[in-house]
Amino acid sequence: MTVVPTVALTGVTKRFRGTAALDDVHLTLGPGITGLLGPNGAGKTTLLRITATVLTPGAGEVVLFGTRPAGPEQLAAVRRRLGYLPQEMGHPRGFTGFGFVDYMAVLKEWTDRAARHAEVRRVLELVDLDGVAARRVSALSGGQRRRLGLAQALLGDPDLLLLDEPTTGVDPGQRVTLRQVLSRAGERSTVLLSTHQTEDVAALCDRVVVLDGGRVRFDGAVADLVATAAGRVWLADAPDPAARASWRTGTGRHRVVGQAAPAGAEPAEPTLEDAYLLLLGERARTTGVAA
Amino acid sequence: MSAVLARPAPSTRGATLRTLAAAEARRYARSPVFLAGVLLLLWATATSLGDLDDAGGDLAVVPAACLGLAGVLVGHSLTRSTSRPGDAVRAAPADGALRTAALALACLVPGAVALAWAVWVALALAAADLPVAIGWGRQAGMLATGVVAAVGGPLVGVLVGRWTRFPGAGLVAAVVLTGWTLACTAGLMMTATRWGTLVHLNAPFATWTSADGPDAPPWLAGGSPWWYVAYQVALCGLAATAAMVHEATGARRTRLWRVLAVLAVVAVGCLALACAADPTRVFL
Repeated sequence: MTVVPTVALTGVTKRFRGTAALDDVHLTLGPGITGLLGPNGAGKTTLLRITATVLTPGAGEVVLFGTRPAGPEQLAAVRRRLGYLPQEMGHPRGFTGFGFVDYMAVLKEWTDRAARHAEVRRVLELVDLDGVAARRVSALSGGQRRRLGLAQALLGDPDLLLLDEPTTGVDPGQRVTLRQVLSRAGERSTVLLSTHQTEDVAALCDRVVVLDGGRVRFDGAVADLVATAAGRVWLADAPDPAARASWRTGTGRHRVVGQAAPAGAEPAEPTLEDAYLLLLGERARTTGVAA
Repeated sequence: MSAVLARPAPSTRGATLRTLAAAEARRYARSPVFLAGVLLLLWATATSLGDLDDAGGDLAVVPAACLGLAGVLVGHSLTRSTSRPGDAVRAAPADGALRTAALALACLVPGAVALAWAVWVALALAAADLPVAIGWGRQAGMLATGVVAAVGGPLVGVLVGRWTRFPGAGLVAAVVLTGWTLACTAGLMMTATRWGTLVHLNAPFATWTSADGPDAPPWLAGGSPWWYVAYQVALCGLAATAAMVHEATGARRTRLWRVLAVLAVVAVGCLALACAADPTRVFL
């Protein structure tokens, strides 16, 4: 029996005013959590928007749940099975947290009031916002609003969860809570997690896709990407200007990521961040990745 | 963690539209601008009813201004605010045309208030036992113009909210509607011909009484109030359909364009019939 992938992108290209945001991207996703890394402008958000059916590709084919959504009915059928947290998300004025998620639930066709309210309470509890659900959205902190956005994406336990930087502005304690929520979601759903936080990818994902300049630079297991940095990370007593990256750590020693070991350096265990820096080189350093 | 609930079976568009329209209607009813408009309507009407005459129909300007004109701002604000979550809304199964239709249905909230107002004024006129020189049918038609304007203003707000991104577009639309209406009062200064009636009645809202001077007796303009109401209803349909066209795609968009064309023909026909009636002015 052939297993139909949740997402299958073939040769997807999207240009904005002549600049390629995505360039011939091929990607297949099935159940589990896939991390999407890349510098700013790499095309991560464009990829998520196309997969979420809010943007059409200039070229290539997008197949979701085995169908190519074209007409309004097919689009609605696909959208019933996906949850999407966009990178930037405003909130309508005057809504409480509960009211906002309730409104989104109506848009997701939860027409039975009792069932809808129960589902809204469930997702608010999942993201630990049940205590502030009655507060106006305008009175919530940035991190709370981000979790509210995640709550609406989780409505109905979607088969495909597309998350664009879900942990931005979220404090470490809440981030752990969100990781628990996402790891549970990844057990049965397909989760695509776009982020600058390499430690979130390392903690949650079994697969990572690195985009750069609209093209896929790496697609494989997180462990495989980390392995590319083996033997290229050291702890030294002094910074190494010739290295790809070098910085002073809290112990007073310098972590050096590069091609050659500095004098007197000792090997260090590579992390996903090291591998990412090595993969993208100067671009990763100039556009930044959150440590 | 609580248990995952069963995902709802796909609802019909009708069920989703009803639920969404009810949610939008609640938002409309809670809008501070709308509530202020209702208070102003009550105050202005109560004040005017103390000085009743047989031209009570021109009180229709009160709901047209308090609910219709203010409704342009409310409709625009509601439409823009529902667009604020951006892609999260666009990725939901309820598409843009459905969301716009729900907003259009929410515009019946001020319409319901205006209808209650019309009943109130009609009862007050009847209780005052004034000689109604223009006849009750015409009087009711004149009151109805205020009710339809109370729905039409918010619909224009929804239309402008869908097609523009400029935050002050609602205010600009309200000013344009006011200007259009005021410009058409020039028809009342023209001779009582069908052309003069056309200039007078092509506005989205029209007053029906005027006078040739401060001490001159008032008169009622020519034309048919009920065909004018039909013209207003057609304009409302045009605004709602044009708003829905914005996010409709494929065959649905084509259908909506056809509906727009039909409504435009109906609007022109109703206006022509409103102007075809006797243009002679009736002195009150």
